[in-house]
Formats: sequence, C-alpha cells, structure tokens
Amino acid sequence: MNQKKKVEWTKLDNASKIFPATCSYKDTKVFRFTCELHETVDADILQEALDVTIEKFPLYRSVLRRGIFWYYFESSDIKPVVEIESNPICASIYFKEKKNLLFRVFYYNRRISIEVFHALSDGKGALGFMHTLVSHYLFLKYRDVFAGKIPQLTVNASISEKKEDSFEKYFAGGNVFKAIKEIKSINKNKKAYHIKGTRMEENRIKVIEGSMSAKAVLEEAHSCNTTLTIFITALFMYSIYKHMPALKKDRPVVLLVPVNLRQFFKSETTRNFFSTISIGYEFEGKSADFIDVINSVSASFKKELTEEQMIKHLSRYILLEKNPFTRVAPLPIKDFFIRIANSVNNRNTTAAISNLGRIEMPVEFDDYIRQFSVFTGVIRPQISMCTYKDRLVVSFNSPFGETDIQRTFFNYLTSKGIEIEISTNLP
Amino acid sequence: MQYCSYCKIHIRGNGDKCPLCLNILPDGTSNIVEIYPDIPPSYEQHMATRIAAFISIAAIVASFAMSKLFPALTDWFSFVLLGLVSMWLSLILVVRKRHNIAKEIMWQVTIISLLSIVWDWTTGWRNWSLEYLIPIISVSAMLVMYITAKAMKLSISDYVAYLLLIGLFGIIPILFILFDWVDVKYPSIICVAASAIFLSAVMIFHGESIIIELKKRMHV
Repeated sequence: MNQKKKVEWTKLDNASKIFPATCSYKDTKVFRFTCELHETVDADILQEALDVTIEKFPLYRSVLRRGIFWYYFESSDIKPVVEIESNPICASIYFKEKKNLLFRVFYYNRRISIEVFHALSDGKGALGFMHTLVSHYLFLKYRDVFAGKIPQLTVNASISEKKEDSFEKYFAGGNVFKAIKEIKSINKNKKAYHIKGTRMEENRIKVIEGSMSAKAVLEEAHSCNTTLTIFITALFMYSIYKHMPALKKDRPVVLLVPVNLRQFFKSETTRNFFSTISIGYEFEGKSADFIDVINSVSASFKKELTEEQMIKHLSRYILLEKNPFTRVAPLPIKDFFIRIANSVNNRNTTAAISNLGRIEMPVEFDDYIRQFSVFTGVIRPQISMCTYKDRLVVSFNSPFGETDIQRTFFNYLTSKGIEIEISTNLP
Repeated sequence: MQYCSYCKIHIRGNGDKCPLCLNILPDGTSNIVEIYPDIPPSYEQHMATRIAAFISIAAIVASFAMSKLFPALTDWFSFVLLGLVSMWLSLILVVRKRHNIAKEIMWQVTIISLLSIVWDWTTGWRNWSLEYLIPIISVSAMLVMYITAKAMKLSISDYVAYLLLIGLFGIIPILFILFDWVDVKYPSIICVAASAIFLSAVMIFHGESIIIELKKRMHV
C-alpha cells in the first residue's frame, strides 16, 4: 500500500538560511556556471553525465521545504533533466509551495551551464558539481580518445564530507547581547553610494562577459604591486567613481566581497561555507588616483582577510541563529527579521565582486574546453570572475541597461594593451 | 569576430551594436555560433486576473451607488462586498497553494468554514453554518483528502500531517454540542464520531510517519 521509503532531511547551514527568506523574482539568489567547449554540446551525453554526477552529490537531490520554525532540505527522487537554455539568466529556482530541485542543468550550442539556488551551495561547492559534470561529459563524449586512461578527477571527497555543515563544525557562539551590539554598530556606517539605472524588462540581468588573458592582467596587477583580485576590485571601484553624480560624491563606494572559508578552515563541503567582507573607499577628500585606490583596497583586504576576523564575524551570526529566542520564533517571523537585516545590509553596499579563482581541470581536457564563466542574479551591479588556464573571464552582471561603468572598466584594460573579447546576453 | 574600433574590443556573437559603447558595428558576419539564446518575454500578468479585478471594483462601486440612490432596497452593497471578498480569498488560496494539494484542501476547509460563519451572521444568524455546513464540510474534506491522496499517489509524508489536522478540525463541532450552540445536533454528532474514528485510524496506521513528520517540521 505505502512505499515505505525513508525520506531523509537535513537542516540548513547558517548562511543558507538567509536565501529562502530574501529571494524574490527581482533578487533570485541564483548563480550560474558555464563551461564553453570547442564543439557543440550533445544533449544525450550531457544527460548521461548528469545521471552519474547526481549520484555523487546526493544533496543536489533535495527539495527545500518550510517547517514551523526553520526551512529544511528533504531528499527527493526527482530526476534532474538536461534542457536547452530557455530561461533568462539566473531566473528564479525556488518557489515557496513547489517541490522542485534547487538547480538546473542546460546547454546552448557550445555551452554547458548549471544554475544553482544559493541555499543549496556556494560558488566553490557548485564548482565541484560543475567540475564533475563536465569531466563526465567529456569522458563519455570522447571515450575512444580516453580509452583505458581515465583522467583523475580533482574533486575527491567522501559523500559525508560533501554534505558536511562546516559552520557547525568550526564556529561556536559567545554572548548574544554583545553580538547584537556589535552588528548594530557595524551597520551605523555611512550610507553607501547606490548605482542608479533603468531596470531591464522583466527584471532580467544584463551580462557583459569579457574574456582575456589571465597572464596579461596579472602582469598589469604586478606592475601595480598587487594581486589580481585587488587589482580588479580597485578597478571596479574606480570605474564606479568615474560615473558618480557630483551630488553623491560624498558617499563611500563599498564593495561586498564573498570569501571562501575553505581557505581558512579545512572543509570539502559542497554546501555553503563562505562569509563576506566589505571593502570601502571614500573618494571625497581623498586622492582619486587609481594607484591610491589600489593601496587602500589592499590595506582593507589585509585587515579583513584574517582567520581571527572571520571567526569573530561568523560567531556573531552563529550566535544569533543558535540562541533560544531565535530558535522558537515561527518561520514567518524569522523571515521578516532576516529581510529587514538584508535591506539594511543592502543600504550599506554599492556593488559586489566575487572571484572564484582558478578552475583546475585534468590536463587531458585542455583541448576540449575553451573557457569557464560565472554569473550571478543581482539587484545591483556585480562582477563575478574565474580563470581557466590563461582565460580570465570577468562577467559584469547588472539589473540596469546602462553600460558606462562596464565601458570604463574594460576600456582601462584595453588601454593597457590587453586584448578583450566581449559577449552579451542582451545586445 | 567583430571589432569595435572605438572601444578596441573584439565582440563575439551576432549583435549589430557594440555592447559597451552601443555604436553600430561595421557589417556583421553572419555564420557565428550564438553564445546566448534570444529569450522572448513571458507575459506573466494574466489578462483574466485584470478583467476580474476590474469587474470586482466596478461592482463594488455600482452597488454602493445603488444603495445610496435607493436606500430602501435590500443592502446590496454588503452582499456584493462580502461575496467578492469570499471569492477572492478562495481564489488567491487556490492559486498560491496549487502545488500542494493536501495543504490546499486544509486551507479551503478553514476559509469556507470561517466565511460561512460570517455569511450566516450578516444574513440574520439562522445558524445553518454551525448546524449543517461545518460538520458536512469536515466529513467531506476527510473523504476528499484521503481519496485525492490515493488517486494522486502522494507519498505518505506529504499528506499525513494534513490528515491529522483535518481529523482534529472535525472534532471542533464537539464544542457546538457542549456549549449548546446548535439546535439540530445530529450533523455535529456524526461529524465528531467520524473524525474520532478517522483520527484513530490515522494514528494506528500512520503513527510512525506522523512522529517523523512532526520531528522534521518542528525542529528548532
């Protein structure tokens, strides 16, 4: 009569809890990874590769559900199906009453893409999935070439390691009242400058994707005595500054930078394990020279990006989550307060930038993959970037139609003699 | 690949303008592999909803004007207003909960019961809501819930919590009898008895599932 199949369920980790509460059709909290090959994608083989991959990432089989007090993941037997790309970039994935998977896999011409709802995974976690999917695809597609010598996958972790809630593992609480006070004082900062623009139709995201030589940009960064991330962050700030209206120049430009915590704390989880830091620069009364912006950004990174800062920052949030008052508050009330906190946070942020870093694939695949790109669903301009071999892809994601900041940004790079290939989703 | 001599960038794809400076590019090359598909807009806003909203507002205004013009007639305004409020409440629930059929049934039962009391009260409290409607709707909802779950092959974890809720809901008419709110007692008695039997069946046959579901849904 009844299928006595046991339904497993999992609590959401600390960072995941924010996303279902704050996602909307405008701000979908979805991000996309794309791998561009040199040949047209074969849908059937991609499906085969997906069938193998999903077995290695059981949490990706989950649906998100609402309990009385918290959201939770519930295992499902829905089979993910590969589709041809037919949705706007980073369209909504999570719908309150619907039981669907929290990611999608699709293809278009030479590109394989996955889109993931952020509650399920962060960039690094999803990259593991992407890595496995593309590897299996190439391996299946070119089985004759690889006959006998299976390339070693670089993502190698046990299922339990991949499912681990690393926040729980590494962070403990402290004093609740002190934490609230500290968070409050942080939010008393001066309101950040907000970029204004004309929204795209249906709240779509305009993506301008610039692909360039990583080596050339790195050389440019080194000539400024800095790293790639700091160089791009500073250039982004500088480009924003160039288009600030005179009346708003007293506002600081504040960039939100997600930080992968796996670099500080050992973890193989494919779930969320990140934190964010804010990097600000007040142009009024300070030098607007690019090199001075770089120096200031560099100093902020040095100050914020330490293990102690991360522990301090995260323990506060863990504390808020774990204290008994929060725990017994019904979910709609929690959602309400998370939304308020989120909008306060947005008030203090101008834009965001995330660098997914270098994507390593087995060398055997070198001849088949052209580049990787990453995109994010956004409510304000955001840069997301990643590097594969010598291809650095910087994607400008923006809810606005204007492209002035993007132009300034890329023109600066071309003026330094860097060759850039641009593509866009909304020409 | 096309080239924008103003921005000094190469442009992939088939666009005729430079994405950065929006200047027209020299002759587009045609046989380039597209990078992004052209996605047509989806018209989410349904025309039907707009028409219904318009008719509703027109009806409210018209009935209000009528009641001012001819005060002696029946109070059409209250009827129209209440009717429309009931309709919209039910409709919104139907649409919002459409992906979860068991939840949908539970919500409809609750909202119809509440609305029936309001209707009964505004039309001179003849007590048909408590005496007949609520007991009848509770018993039918139990049947509907069970049949739907079986017919749609829902997994037990999806509806067991709602079976429990609907069973408990059916016990409520016991208050009608205890506090002597009803004169015609037999529908309430039948309803309470049926619910008690239903609840015991749910507990005995699906007790473990209920415990698992409660643990999951109520974890703090």
